[in-house]
Formats: sequence, C-alpha cells, structure tokens
Amino acid sequence: MNPTFLPFGDRAVLINFPQEIDETINQQVILLSQKIEDQHWPEIETLIPAYCSLTVCFHFRKTTYAKMKEKIADLISQIETESVTSFNRIVKVPVCYGGRYGPDLEEISQQKELSESEIIRLHTGQDFRVYMLGFLPGFAYMGKLPEALQVSRKQTPRLKVAAGSVGLAGFQTGIYPSEAPGGWQIIGRTPLELFSPEKETPFLFQPGDLVRFYAIEEADFRSWE
Amino acid sequence: MSYPFIQLTFLKSGLFTTIQDPGRRHLGGFGVPAGGWLDEKSALQANWLAGNHPYTPLLEITIQGPKIRFSGSVQIAITGADISPKLNEQPVPRYQTIRVSQGDVLSFGRLNQGCRAYLAIRGKWKVEKELGSYSLLFRGKIQPTQRGFINNNSQILIESKPSIQQRNIEPKDQLVINNPQTIRVLPGPEFDWFSREEIGQFFSYHYQLSTDSNRMGCRLEGHPLTRDSGVELISSGVIPGTVQIVNNGQPVILLADAQTTGGYPRFVNVMSEDMDKVAQLKPGDKLRFQLVPLVK
Repeated sequence: MNPTFLPFGDRAVLINFPQEIDETINQQVILLSQKIEDQHWPEIETLIPAYCSLTVCFHFRKTTYAKMKEKIADLISQIETESVTSFNRIVKVPVCYGGRYGPDLEEISQQKELSESEIIRLHTGQDFRVYMLGFLPGFAYMGKLPEALQVSRKQTPRLKVAAGSVGLAGFQTGIYPSEAPGGWQIIGRTPLELFSPEKETPFLFQPGDLVRFYAIEEADFRSWE
Repeated sequence: MSYPFIQLTFLKSGLFTTIQDPGRRHLGGFGVPAGGWLDEKSALQANWLAGNHPYTPLLEITIQGPKIRFSGSVQIAITGADISPKLNEQPVPRYQTIRVSQGDVLSFGRLNQGCRAYLAIRGKWKVEKELGSYSLLFRGKIQPTQRGFINNNSQILIESKPSIQQRNIEPKDQLVINNPQTIRVLPGPEFDWFSREEIGQFFSYHYQLSTDSNRMGCRLEGHPLTRDSGVELISSGVIPGTVQIVNNGQPVILLADAQTTGGYPRFVNVMSEDMDKVAQLKPGDKLRFQLVPLVK
C-alpha cells in the first residue's frame, strides 16, 4: 500500500490510491478506512472511502494536516507487514423490473438492441461490488456493469425519482434510498428499505459488499413486508 | 423538579426555517451530509445569551423570518442576520437576552444584513434526534413534514428553566458584513488542473452569489474557469467548504447539507474559520477569494 497524501483544506487529508476503478485498489481503500476507524482517534470526524481515495476529516481545532498525515503513514507501514484477508458480505436485493417501476427499461432495450429479459438476465447474472456510498444517505455506487448495460445518464434529470428505484449510469448501478431528483436510467424498483435512520443499523449497504439482484413480480413487490 | 412547558406555535414558517445543532459529522462514509448550523459563531452566541448548553437545538432562519406565538413566559435571544425582529409588532434588539410573555408573537421584517438569523429559546427542547443530531437530515429532497423542518403547522414544546440574568454581546463581537466579502481559501486537491492564468483570474475577479443557492451549496456567478486537460475525476470525497468548479466553469462552495462525494475538480477549500462568513452571504452578495498557504 503506497498511496499519495494531499492536503484537503484545513480539516481533511486526501489519500489517493492509483486513480482507477479496480476491485483490488478499492479493497485497499476500504481496508485502510477500517484500520483508521479501529484506532478510535478522537480527532477524526469522519472517513469517506471512495472508489480509489480516502478522505479523512479531522477536527481542525484539535490537530493539523501534518500530524494527521504522519499518524496515518505510520499506520500504513504497519498494515503492510500484516496478512490481508478480505471478507465481503453478500446482500441479495429483490427488484421488480420494467413497467411502472422501471420506466427507462424499454428505451434502453431499444437503444441497446437487447430484449428486456436479456437486460434483466445481465443485471441479475453477476454480483456487483459496492465501491462506495455517496450522493444520498445510503446510496451505494455498484459496478462494474457489463458493456451491454452501460448507458449514459438522462439528458434531463428527473425532478423526482422514487425511493427504491434501481438505476444505471455509465459502468455503475445504484439504488435511490429515498425520493430525490436524479439522472440515472431507472430499470426497476426494490421493496427493500436502504436507509432507515431510526434503526440500529440504518444502512443496508456498506463499502465492499457484494450485491446480488434477483427479479420479482409486481404482486410480490406490492405484498413485500 | 419540573418547570412549565412552553409551546411555540408557528403562524408562519418563514422562507426556510430549520432546527439545527452541531450536526452529525461522523457518517460521511455512508453518504450522510454533516448538517448542522451554518454560522457556528452566531448559533453559539444565541445559545449563550439564552443560558443554554452550546449544543441545545435552535432555529436557523433564512432571509424571511417566521411568525411565532409563545404560550408562556420564556427567555429568548436572536443573533446573526438582521431580519428586523419584532415582538408584538414592536422592534426588539438582537444580541441580548429577551423575555417574552404568554401570548406574545415574535415576527420578522425586512432583511437588513446577512442571510441567516439564529433564535435560541431557553429550556429543554422536546424534539427528537435523528442519527445523533437534532438537525434537519437532508436526504435528497425536503419533505415539508420531516423532522427538523418548520412548516405553517409546526409546534415546538420546550420545558422552561429558571430565568437567568440578562446577557449582552458587545457590538464588536456581533455579525459584520462587508460587501464584497473576502473569503480565505487553501489550494484544493485539483488546484493544479487549472493554468496559472486561470488561477490568477479567479483571485482577481469578484463573484456573486446566485439565487439557486441553499444549504447544500453557494452557487457563484462570475468569471468562468476553463481547464485544458479533459481528465475526469473519479468520484471522491467532498466536505463543507470545498469549492468545486462545475461544468459551466462556475464555482460552487459546498455547505453542510452537500453530498459527501463528487466528481467535479476540488479547486480550493474555504478556511474553516471563514465558513461563518460564507453562511451569511445572500443571493446577489459579492465576494472575492484570497489564497492563503496551509499552516502545517
């Protein structure tokens, strides 16, 4: 692990890994994030692991960039001597594809010259990695989509995308945890709750999870508990 | 020992009135915005004047104030933007402890300076936390009935406490607004994606706050920045104070309710100490940026 450190204002350290979207690199980001979290350093405010970077926010009145950088560099030097094992949870996500829940499925089918069922087969046919969370509380950026499913964002974003909507954008797939405006191409909807602030575990996903989509019928969607 | 409960009834919500406290900074990795008061100094002053713990929830009032009826006698304090506060239609001073009585109506008038006022009310607020904070939790779209958001039917219950001696804040410690305001910034991670010439332009021109600014960010209008390289940033963390250069070349200063990751170049970052000044910019106000080095 040999990342680059960059100052990010007066209250954060940006740790850049090789700038690529790659499972192994992302796994290192998540590992470092967990290691830092395990230290329970009181000066840390929050950690934002992303595709190939980790943002470490600290209390600007309690420490400085230089001190934080040194502490993290020390920690990294210890990680290298440990054996690294990775564990990824598998999260199964039911999706009702197409129709009123997936208003963009038909258009994608025409654009890609693939039947709707072929698109569903591709979307349910492999595990997608949660590379990071962002955009909205509990929104997971998952990938990578096979070439056949890669579409650009909508020209004009929707003012309202329903909670649970499953979307495509470039090489990524994601689910809206709550109603929000957005430009992802919507192919279906899950009845699962992705973000419930009142629960002890408010988030369905965490970085590093493997997500397995499976298709359900509209009747199942409606009666989902 | 318990004290009487005071009910606040909102006869008008105001333009954008929310309950705030220091926010929830610990969940950035799950996409949860930091939230919390935007002008920390004014918020802490208001709670001090009301004799409250610094982290007691309070109201953040934006541009147009609410109209509130009090069901009983309680001490309050107003700081930050000057939105001509009135008690029963008579002007009341900002920056001091004020006593309101049963049936009194607090309202606001013309915005004279600043953008956000803070109203602290002495006592224990009977409101609930969400993910460790009383602040409105921004999750993509404001729902008028969501916790922490004041609508025209809102009511807040506060358990009163014994009165304190009146407190004041000296004029020299009160909000001062300059126009243009100077905002100090540090180079951001993608600072060198822009040429020396473009950087020079950024620091020599004034920018103006656009009307579509909100608690997520201050959108600015002015000299657009162009860059030669077509390199795209792979989505990475952003924090309150990050100044992104969006696709039309205009800067956006991210605030407390901004998302936690983004794909636009992070050109500069506002110094944490200057975020209170940013919070008090209203649409149409001018600002200029000043580059300062990072003190290691």
